[in-house]
Amino acid sequence: MNQTTGVITSLSQQEFQAQHRRSRMRHTMRRGGIYLLAIGLAVWILLPIVLIGSMAFSTPADVRAFPKQIIPDPISGETMNFFLNTEGILRATGNSIVVAVLALLISTVLAVPAGYAIARYLFRGRDLIRLGILSVRAFPIVVLAVPLAVVFIQLGMFDQVYSLALMHAALTLPTTILVVASVFTSVPYELEEAALVFGCTRLQAFWRIVLPLSIPGIAASAILTFVLSWNEVFAAILLTITNRTLPAQILYTLDKSGDPFKFAGGFFMLVPSLIFIFFIRRYLFSMWGQLNK
Amino acid sequence: MLFFAYPMVESLQLALRREGQFLNLRVEPVEDAAVAGTVAMQTELSVLERQRLEETLPNGRTRPIYWFEVETVDAAGETIRGWVSQSNVFIESRTESTSARVVSGEASQEWTLDFIRRMFNDFRFSSALGTTILLIVLIIPLQFVLAIIMALVLQSQIRGSNLFLYIYAIPLGISDLASGIVWYSIFTQRGFINSFLVSAGLRDTPFIFIQADNHGWMITAIVLAEVWRATSIVMVIVVSGLQAIPRDYIEAGEVFGANLWQRLWHIILPLLKPSLQVALILRTILAFQVFAVVIAITGGNIVTVLANETYRWYDPARFNSPNVAAVYAGFIMLLSLGISLFYLRAVRSQEEAAKAL
Repeated sequence: MNQTTGVITSLSQQEFQAQHRRSRMRHTMRRGGIYLLAIGLAVWILLPIVLIGSMAFSTPADVRAFPKQIIPDPISGETMNFFLNTEGILRATGNSIVVAVLALLISTVLAVPAGYAIARYLFRGRDLIRLGILSVRAFPIVVLAVPLAVVFIQLGMFDQVYSLALMHAALTLPTTILVVASVFTSVPYELEEAALVFGCTRLQAFWRIVLPLSIPGIAASAILTFVLSWNEVFAAILLTITNRTLPAQILYTLDKSGDPFKFAGGFFMLVPSLIFIFFIRRYLFSMWGQLNK
Repeated sequence: MLFFAYPMVESLQLALRREGQFLNLRVEPVEDAAVAGTVAMQTELSVLERQRLEETLPNGRTRPIYWFEVETVDAAGETIRGWVSQSNVFIESRTESTSARVVSGEASQEWTLDFIRRMFNDFRFSSALGTTILLIVLIIPLQFVLAIIMALVLQSQIRGSNLFLYIYAIPLGISDLASGIVWYSIFTQRGFINSFLVSAGLRDTPFIFIQADNHGWMITAIVLAEVWRATSIVMVIVVSGLQAIPRDYIEAGEVFGANLWQRLWHIILPLLKPSLQVALILRTILAFQVFAVVIAITGGNIVTVLANETYRWYDPARFNSPNVAAVYAGFIMLLSLGISLFYLRAVRSQEEAAKAL
């Protein structure tokens, strides 16, 4: 009797160990699978960027060569240089930066008080305003650009850098308001109350307590505005003729330009996004998570 | 709000009203006499009588001006008679001719469906609409599958998930034009795919993906470019939706022996529905605006989409008709609105059906 039970126990123990080993192996394999998947997806995103980057830093002769090399040899700034020195590009880059900075300033300056009001006060129609803001967020640029171009012509604001900035600010304002509101909501109200108790006015409490704590979040949404404005091409090409922004200028001359110009331009346009997304990656979810509510 | 409302009113006016001209016939040969009738431009008039008057110019001098009593048939088919000034008609001889033609008059605005008709009758309209819808049907499911996979990978707490998040989020900041150029560099005749095919000895000559009779390949290139660029936003929305799902639910599924697929299908996806709905609406609206990708990859002539047509009609260097462009814009607006409402409806009715059960 005793012997049989012993055999059974040792058997089941062996079986147990085998099972344990199997499950651990399955676990490791699954981990490995997830890593493989993660790396595969990363390659899918990164490979095209590497390819266009390698084109941008090859000599124009290599850009036109066939078959192409993936790693530029020799590395040369000639293509990039050619692109930047093409007539109109530097000016368009300058316009792009001015438009994006203006749009960023307008939308941030308007969004901070609006966001604070939505975050801190309960007022009638608050939900209606939230809904309205969201519906504007979904408003197609294409739909707005044509009539706005005509209105701007009537008002004598057509082909001006600042009117395009106004348009971009209006387009990004809704998102900015919601993001800024969520940033303010995350600052504990107790801190503000404490400041009020110690004799601060509301404005001082906002200026000294809430704002410093919310600066990173506000900066993140401002950067997003900058990137959106930098990238926006449809309204830009409709609303400007002589003061084109960079994407509008490149799009306008696209069918008349050669591959080196195109590739260098493509790479030049996507560089800011590489940098800016790095800085705001932490805030992405609080930004877009807002849309779920 | 005014910033959006005013252009919309303007847009309706552009789409539905036409600037026209008509000429008022007067009962007497005086500028502000009562109106005897109205005629359209280019109407032929028969001259019955003429009168020579003096007109004083701003510098104090005078010059002769003729008024004619004319008779014609108006738009309603009735014969009308009245006086017109020489400045509004073309007449060979002021003193001799017995017929004249109306060449100018007063500005008017009239309601018209002409611009709408012009959009529907344009031979590129149906191809633009078809391509836009084809792109939406191809791109959106791919994006959602890819975005959900990305989100699940990020949520599985692997090492370096911060780095992966950054990499997956990079396309958020890439413009459609840049993405179009990037994929053009891959698909063009001397591009990377052909470089690979030829170097690896799979083909002797490059295969021309982008040409008029290779519709399928051009659409493929556009789909890849859009999936590459615009999946990130869906991913971010899905991740923030996933973060809101309590871990207990998923663990409970694990305890009861649900495998990964079952957990995904029966627990995660149903709870993710609100996020997916938001992402779906956002993506569809944005998909109607696909524009620069198409131009960068195909040149925008053979393969065209609604937004591209809007630009073509607006462009002063081409059709120069903001009116038809406004009709296109309104059409895109109606489509986006209709589809958003349809999504909201479809999801809600499913929930109600579930409740009823």
